[in-house]
Amino acid sequence: MSAWTSYRLQDFIPFTADIYFRLLERMGETFWPLHLLTLALGATALLLTLKNHARLACLLTAPLWAFVALTFFLQRYAELNWAGGYVGYAFIVQFILLLLIALTGLGLDNAPHYKKPPVIIGTTLVLLGLIVLPLIAPLTGGSWPQSEVFGIHPDPTAIITLGLTLILLRGFILWAMAIIPALWMLISGLTLMVLGAPGALALFAALAIGLIGLVWKQVTGSNRVFPG
Amino acid sequence: MNNRFTRRQSLQFISATLAAISLPSAPLLANAGGLHQKPIPGTGKNFPVVGMGTWRTFNVGSDPQLLDARTEVVRAFFQYGGGLIDSSPMYGSAPDVMGHALQQLGVPNSLFSAEKVWSPAGGSGREQVAILENRWSVEQFDLVQVHNLTDWREHLAALREMKAEGKIGYIGITTSHGRRHGEFERIMTSEEIDFAQLTYNITHREAENRLLPMAKERGIAVLANRPYDGGNLIRGLQRRGEPVPEWATEECGCSTWADFLLKFIVSHPAITCAIPATTQVEHMHENMRAGLDPMPSASARQRMAAYIESL
Repeated sequence: MSAWTSYRLQDFIPFTADIYFRLLERMGETFWPLHLLTLALGATALLLTLKNHARLACLLTAPLWAFVALTFFLQRYAELNWAGGYVGYAFIVQFILLLLIALTGLGLDNAPHYKKPPVIIGTTLVLLGLIVLPLIAPLTGGSWPQSEVFGIHPDPTAIITLGLTLILLRGFILWAMAIIPALWMLISGLTLMVLGAPGALALFAALAIGLIGLVWKQVTGSNRVFPG
Repeated sequence: MNNRFTRRQSLQFISATLAAISLPSAPLLANAGGLHQKPIPGTGKNFPVVGMGTWRTFNVGSDPQLLDARTEVVRAFFQYGGGLIDSSPMYGSAPDVMGHALQQLGVPNSLFSAEKVWSPAGGSGREQVAILENRWSVEQFDLVQVHNLTDWREHLAALREMKAEGKIGYIGITTSHGRRHGEFERIMTSEEIDFAQLTYNITHREAENRLLPMAKERGIAVLANRPYDGGNLIRGLQRRGEPVPEWATEECGCSTWADFLLKFIVSHPAITCAIPATTQVEHMHENMRAGLDPMPSASARQRMAAYIESL
């Protein structure tokens, strides 16, 4: 038997479902009621984005990536998975990139229009991350502290940031800013799939929607409005 | 003499009976020596045929709730007189979690601690063993294995030296999922090792062809990992809702699928111990009960394999 072909996805997930859900729960328990503030920041970032205060939206979002990098990945997830530390560093890179855009305005798109497909897709992703993601755990038999919340847990943080960047950015910078959120959504989706968690479907759906938005923006040069 | 119970005696009798019923049966089994044991070939040392693995299940980090839960799993294991516990630096925080459990429970005489050296963990074999002993809170390991054959020449040389110095009890090599059996066999043939750990279960029996006969011939103890094929086997059987066949109950006392699957493995003459992993005390009870006599005969083993193939 070839050694490499014998590996399955589950061979790369070094913990069981109950351990991962407990990790989500511990984040919830430790930082409550910070969730209320981060959710408010997410909603504010969306409003600022839609009102073309792009740099301010990036400035609000950036520190949450640093917070998730430190508290989720470096302090907790890395205990369970040696790769968790590297993901934490990737989240810090995203924090720096968001900060750079906030300071320089690099790669910002024109003012968003609600009829533009990338704006619709981006807004959908943000609402998915703000509203749907936190409800998945309690609606599927999990506890409320397991609710995944923007700025506390990585999945909604990645989904919402991908949505915001779809609205805010264009060209090379858009793709550069989408890489880390999209990669994490893929990794997390695969992890949840192995663990048999219902959240996997939401992550794959969000990733697919996000990729469609990215390609659409690339192909159409960003600002085409739905005809008629 | 009046043989009738007084009211006080009656109450005492009822209380004692209730207390006896409520006590876990595991220690009684352990004291009775009910767990089937096998020797490490060429030594006078025996240990129970059902041990404990820690891959995925014991990697709980610093979560106090899960640390306590895993400590209870280890407590149940020791209550049955459990012996071999296997871990690896590749298993994340599992060695630390074992250390936590041993600090809470103490280190019983029955423990046979098995660890591994693994190149990606960094440092020399000696350094890794020293770090792992500290993580487990044990003075020395009974067995240290080369994980998945990584840099096995270098690691085996270091482990051999440590064994000669009396710093570890036994040395071995590991593989899993049927990987690199050719190289595994060459090492078993050419190197002096005490243990070989490989995947062997009722649906993955490749090892029967060459590795298990080789182990028997060379006097190498064999640890069977993935006895439930990562949980797929037992979950699959339970999902089907198939009852354990009556003949298996009559033949070797199988009352659960855990009994059926584990007894099949450990009754192979070359297998020394199976190492199922679990997160739950209840499953630990099931696993350990599978280590109780009677064990299936050679003909019953054939029937068991044929039955699973027929499903």
